Amino acid sequence: MSREFDHLFKLLIIGDSGVGKSCLLLRFADNTFSGSYITTIGVDFKIRTLEINGERVKLQIWDTAGQERFRTITSTYYRGTHGVIVVYDVTNGESFANVKRWLHEIEQNCDVVNKVLVGNKNDCPSRKVVVTEDAQRFANQMNIPLFETSAKENINVEEMFLTITKMVLRSKLEMKERQNVTANDVVNIRKSGHKSKKKCCQ
Amino acid sequence: MWYGTNLQRSYKYMMFSKMPSLRIDQSDLKCKNGCDYFGNPQWQGYCSKCHREQLQRQRWAEKGSSTLPKPEQKKESGFKLTSHSSFSKFEEKRLRQSETLKKANLLKFSVFKKSSTDDHDHAMERKPPEFKIPPMVNEGMKRDFRLRFPNLTPQMDRDARLFAHSFIMDVIKCSNVMTVDELSERVQRQYQRFMKHMDSSSHFANVEPDTKELLMDFVEKHAMTYLHELPSVVFSPAGTEDERLDRAMSERIQQLSWVGETHLECKLDRTNAACRQLLYKAISELLGMDAALSPGGKVARVRRACRHVLALCGAPASADDLLPALIFTVLKANPPRLVSNINFVTRFCNAQRLMTGEGGYYFTNLCCAVSFIENLTPESLNMDRKEFDCYMAMPASIGGSAWAAALSLCGASREAEEQRLQVENLMAETRALKEKGDQLAVNAESFEKEIAKKVQDVLAKTPLEIKPRRELPRLGSLTAATAALIDLEVDKLNPSQINNVPKIEQHESIPPLVEQEPLNTNKPKLCPDLHNACGSTEAQPKNLPATSTNLQENVTQIIPQNQNYLESELIVTNIQYQDEPIITFSQTPEDKSPSRSPLNPWEVKQTSSLELLTPSPLGFTPFDSRSIDELMTPDDFGSEQVPGLSNVNYDIDLSDFSGDNSLAEDVPREPKDPFSPDPKKYYPFEARDPFSPILDKFDEFTLVDTKTNETSGAFEVIHRASSSRDPFSPVLQESFSLERDASLLDDSHSPTSTSLLPSPLLPQTSKTNDH
Repeated sequence: MSREFDHLFKLLIIGDSGVGKSCLLLRFADNTFSGSYITTIGVDFKIRTLEINGERVKLQIWDTAGQERFRTITSTYYRGTHGVIVVYDVTNGESFANVKRWLHEIEQNCDVVNKVLVGNKNDCPSRKVVVTEDAQRFANQMNIPLFETSAKENINVEEMFLTITKMVLRSKLEMKERQNVTANDVVNIRKSGHKSKKKCCQ
Repeated sequence: MWYGTNLQRSYKYMMFSKMPSLRIDQSDLKCKNGCDYFGNPQWQGYCSKCHREQLQRQRWAEKGSSTLPKPEQKKESGFKLTSHSSFSKFEEKRLRQSETLKKANLLKFSVFKKSSTDDHDHAMERKPPEFKIPPMVNEGMKRDFRLRFPNLTPQMDRDARLFAHSFIMDVIKCSNVMTVDELSERVQRQYQRFMKHMDSSSHFANVEPDTKELLMDFVEKHAMTYLHELPSVVFSPAGTEDERLDRAMSERIQQLSWVGETHLECKLDRTNAACRQLLYKAISELLGMDAALSPGGKVARVRRACRHVLALCGAPASADDLLPALIFTVLKANPPRLVSNINFVTRFCNAQRLMTGEGGYYFTNLCCAVSFIENLTPESLNMDRKEFDCYMAMPASIGGSAWAAALSLCGASREAEEQRLQVENLMAETRALKEKGDQLAVNAESFEKEIAKKVQDVLAKTPLEIKPRRELPRLGSLTAATAALIDLEVDKLNPSQINNVPKIEQHESIPPLVEQEPLNTNKPKLCPDLHNACGSTEAQPKNLPATSTNLQENVTQIIPQNQNYLESELIVTNIQYQDEPIITFSQTPEDKSPSRSPLNPWEVKQTSSLELLTPSPLGFTPFDSRSIDELMTPDDFGSEQVPGLSNVNYDIDLSDFSGDNSLAEDVPREPKDPFSPDPKKYYPFEARDPFSPILDKFDEFTLVDTKTNETSGAFEVIHRASSSRDPFSPVLQESFSLERDASLLDDSHSPTSTSLLPSPLLPQTSKTNDH
């Protein structure tokens, strides 16, 4: 395929409202923090293209509303999602407590999907409430990589997005291999196509 | 966007593509219906088989019998089409009532449809090949393809059209057999098939992936546009509850018309004109979604609407802001057939499109907004259930016009808000204006006071003395001759200043008699200058410094001249020189003057001065020098009139800033000297000593002056002149500085002759100094 990217991945960024999801996106896509211009977040033209292992990966990151009252309706976002970034605020214990609920929601909407756990706003030690050890223990328990980032100070943001992208790319390549192993290529493609409509990842 | 990218090239390619068209493209020879057979112009471009079918259909249409499925379907579609257009117009007008009417129509219609679909299904099953896509669609596709993909080969065009045709046929065939979900899957499979065809076909070998996607959209657009017009096939298809849900949603939104931005916690400024504009744009885009026929078109509308909403949210908006604002917009817009539209897009839009891209993202948001509205609870609005129920009950009382009522209320409140803001602005402006006015008044007042004060000051300093000045020169010139008179005057002066005045007048009267001629020559020149100076000072206090500087300049000019005179003239001065240094040590000029006075044999001085004066033409020069020395003496005289003298001194200080003044002061001393001989006067001066500090200042000047005096050295002569002046000096004391100045001036002028005259100002300074 002779397009400007080899893979197009859709990532979902979820978490309580006010944990800095949009700022993470802004930092990653534009390398700015809370720009003064009107930005459109999580849409096609705002996407960044990364190169991983010689493969050009276009990332399309969808921002979601994190308010409690919207939680039940966000299932549509999960369609066709390759990876999910779950964000909490290290200065807000409640947002960390809600991570479990977010993960549960992911399970409900997707069968298998790559996830990362992100503790944002990790730039003010004095205000930090969620201890790294607790978060790490929880992440290990759930088998999810943990990153503590700061969109404001641009700490760890790039690494986090790179990691989730690599995870998604790896699982996609694995999937492809498996498909190649199985006999009929055509049928498989069709099937995956249908399924992707209802379940989110392939 | 296709137009945008290819429009520039389109002309070129159109030219290019026309060339072969003259030779008749092979595709043009084929059947219009896209079945791979060749067509014939006699059969209206169809192949024989398609032409026969076409004829048959036309005949059916003419018959219009309801028993035959095809015409009925046609009719229905036509009916629905008109309803569509009228519907969209309704939306633009946002007339709720008509919409409900419309709904009623649709309802009837759907019932009718449902009953008919069974027959229709049978018909389809019986005669599937009979259904043909009208040539209009085919032609339209052809035109659109040329317009959008001028650089693509006719093979691609044909492939796309063929696929679209087969796709449409397939959907129509299956629509009667399958459930909506199955049909949706079939459609998705068709999309994939076409994609695969493009990937594998040699026709599309060199086509970019992006163009393939555009082609995909192209096919989707035309196929679905055609299908959309067919009732109950893809749009709110039979067997679904879409229409019922549409109505339910519409009513629901109507009921929720009271939900405002505060309930949703979205930060919208409804009073802001720009925000309102964006909101209206978003609403009209949402309303326009129903008018778009293809899923892509609907998604594009949604995308535009959401962009407006996003702009509405403000600077770096996130999904946390976007979703509430979008919900609010949907509530206010109440788009027609919302559920049907959403379902139509989700079912039949290319799934890949919906899952990715800007359009997909925004459409997903719209779906969320709709499902939020569907499942709205008091909790989701953060409000009490009772309150919520109250609100929900309210629309019923208002009735179906809730939306209109809300709109009008909204508009009224908006206007009120606008007017309130305007009034506030106006009030603020008037307040500012008032403040400024007050300030201006205060400024004017203070300015007036200031000016008055300055004028008063100037008047106090300057005004009346001018006349005496004239007299003084006379006196100065007279002095020599009227020495006797002076003595008398001094005596007279002693009693009081008031008494002096008349005496002075007398003196004035006298001098003209004695020596009018030389004085007169001086006077006229001096006077105008002085007048001018005074006039200017009165008019513009600020000019004072300037005048003073002028004065100083004049003084300086005169002084050297005086010095020359002095040098040339006086012998006796040597003695005085010796005295002067002593004086300087003694600090106060007054002290000096007394010291001098004892040293100087007054009589001799007088005599000498008289002698010098008598040759007055020559003696003018000594006059200047005298004037310096004399200043001392007048002070001495002033001892009796202490206050007056001291006052004069102050005035001098104020008016004269530089050493020039001091020079002038010295000059006055000389006149004093002649007075100094009177022991009485000196003593009083001693008594004045307390004032001496003031005098000390003068001392500095005097020091300078003394130098000049030294050079001049003609104290004696001066004394005489001063003595002559002395009588005037009392007078001057009354009139203060100017009078004496005038005398000095006169002196200076008279000796210096006309050339020196310009220095009238110097006299002023000297006068002041005298005081």
